[in-house]
Amino acid sequence: MIDAPLLQVDGLSKNFGGLQVSSNISMDLRKGDRCALIGPNGAGKTTFVNLVTGVIPPTAGTIRIEGHDVTRQSAEARVRRGLIRSFQVARLFRSMTVREHLELAVLERTGRTFRLFANVRRIPGLADEVAELLEGMGLTAVAETAVGTLAYGQQRLLEIALALAMKPKVLILDEPAAGVPHSESHRILDALDRLPDDLAVLMIEHDMDLVFRFAKRIIVLAQGQLLCSGTAAEITADPRVREVYLGSRAHAH
Amino acid sequence: MTAVESDKMTTNTSTLPHSRPALPRIVTDAMPVVVMAVGGLAAFWLFPNDLGLLTRILAAALFVMSLDMVLGYCGIATLGHAAMFGTGAYAAGIVAVNWVSDPLALLAVGGVAGGLIALATGALILHARGLTLLMLTIAVAQIVQEVANKARDWTGGSDGLSGIDPAPVLGLFRFDLYGRTSYLFALAVLIVGFLVARRIVRSPCGLACRGVREEPLRIAALGGSPRRYLVSMYAVAGVFAGIAGALTAITSGIVGLDSVGFSWSAEAMIMLVLGGTGRLYGAVIGTVAFMAIHHILASTDPFHWMLFIGLFLMGIVLFLPGGIASLSARVLPLVKGGR
Ligand SMILES: Nc1ncnc2c1ncn2[C@@H]1O[C@H](COP(=O)(O)OP(=O)(O)OP(=O)(O)O)[C@@H](O)[C@H]1O
Ligand SMILES: [Mg+2]
Repeated sequence: MIDAPLLQVDGLSKNFGGLQVSSNISMDLRKGDRCALIGPNGAGKTTFVNLVTGVIPPTAGTIRIEGHDVTRQSAEARVRRGLIRSFQVARLFRSMTVREHLELAVLERTGRTFRLFANVRRIPGLADEVAELLEGMGLTAVAETAVGTLAYGQQRLLEIALALAMKPKVLILDEPAAGVPHSESHRILDALDRLPDDLAVLMIEHDMDLVFRFAKRIIVLAQGQLLCSGTAAEITADPRVREVYLGSRAHAH
Repeated sequence: MTAVESDKMTTNTSTLPHSRPALPRIVTDAMPVVVMAVGGLAAFWLFPNDLGLLTRILAAALFVMSLDMVLGYCGIATLGHAAMFGTGAYAAGIVAVNWVSDPLALLAVGGVAGGLIALATGALILHARGLTLLMLTIAVAQIVQEVANKARDWTGGSDGLSGIDPAPVLGLFRFDLYGRTSYLFALAVLIVGFLVARRIVRSPCGLACRGVREEPLRIAALGGSPRRYLVSMYAVAGVFAGIAGALTAITSGIVGLDSVGFSWSAEAMIMLVLGGTGRLYGAVIGTVAFMAIHHILASTDPFHWMLFIGLFLMGIVLFLPGGIASLSARVLPLVKGGR
């Protein structure tokens, strides 16, 4: 059990009607892993994340967190086991402030959200922890700003801060830099560099600069299937990867 | 880069804590209470002959406030909120006629009854959303009304339940013929109710409910159960609605089937939208505005008052989408800027 991977996926498949969006995917993540999941548009990356996190049920396969089979468990139960994701499209509470987001995340993690008469501002330790998270992502200056009016890059940083507020063991980031202007994506990378060392991270990303700088291992998904996995050098050298990325254009040359 | 810099500019000017109204929190927190107390007492002196109407307004304001907890803070669209109000009113009325007549005990009875019916029906229907949920809330209220109609022995059926004769408040203040005690009692209950409700919507649970309203999927991603929050707040709002019902029963002495009626639910919704959702005091403003206009128009022009109310509502929705209460948020910065 000591050596059980933090996240272990076995033979995961999903059909939408006749369409097989994930087929027989197996992979695992261990402490400290920095892994990237790449693949062309529509490869089934987001679907894979939804399956693993319990948003949609798989057609077949098992998912284990630290050796516990969570395939039949709810998304919430998986979160409580330390499996946390960020969203590709920012799913934030638009009218609420940055601070309120982080307060809610910390309260949720510590199971204190059902207190009806407590004053959020006076809960011991909460303000300090939120301040630390704000500082960590460089969001202190916008703490009192409603998230709907925030610059997109800052919303992405808040996504990551929210995930960290949950003290994850496994963190899945679905395109953390999507929609962020290139001039600002270094902020995201800085934030990713400062993630706790023993965290296992799976990042889904199209921006190859980001992938190559961040990931020690890369998994390639194409048409719902695991094509190959390896280091950046191995992946770039693999002709099959070029094939799926360049498609018919590769044949034309 | 310039985008980042301008971001910093705008945020630097507004990083004071709780920056929205730009006034200290103590002031903005105390303001609604002071206005309610002073305005309430002023109305008491100014309109001694209308205390019956004014008392009804105060109880209705508490009811609309409880609707705000559901609609404004949780985003639950309901046209059946009168189910909780009516249940509280009947429960308090029945207990008053048969057993206990202490007004505070009757409020508690109404609150418990309203809370329980909200908990039971909320657990049943709050998995639905949108239009389905709206229909289910209407159905629940219809069922409650039909039960009240059929249980004639207890409720008086369509004749209504009468003969509610509450004991003096705290054993000291008798309910007098002029309705002075009723009015002041209702005013006190409303203000205390407001303070408690505000405490609740600012609690961790209130914060989570606002999150559910905005993005339930994210709440689940944080490990929370959106439905459990909705049911909890629905039940809490049911307590407030039940207390409002009991307050009406105590101060008016009668409970009728209209207290569970569809139009009472719908009117509450109109009053809330008029005043502005998600602020609690907006509920009070909307109730006072709607019922006062209703009263004035209905007595001056009994044939066309609905038309005027309709036009007024359209005007508010079109030109002041945040309701009347949003005026303060718009005017305060101007006042401050002028200094
Ligand atoms: N609920 C659904 N019902 C039917 N088909 C779906 C559903 N969700 C996704 N799909 C299909 O599954 C395929 C994979 O979608 P998915 O969103 O997982 O791709 P992705 O790899 O995340 O793509 P992108 O890079 O554009 O984010 C697509 O062809 C999509 O149309
Ligand atoms: Mg995707």
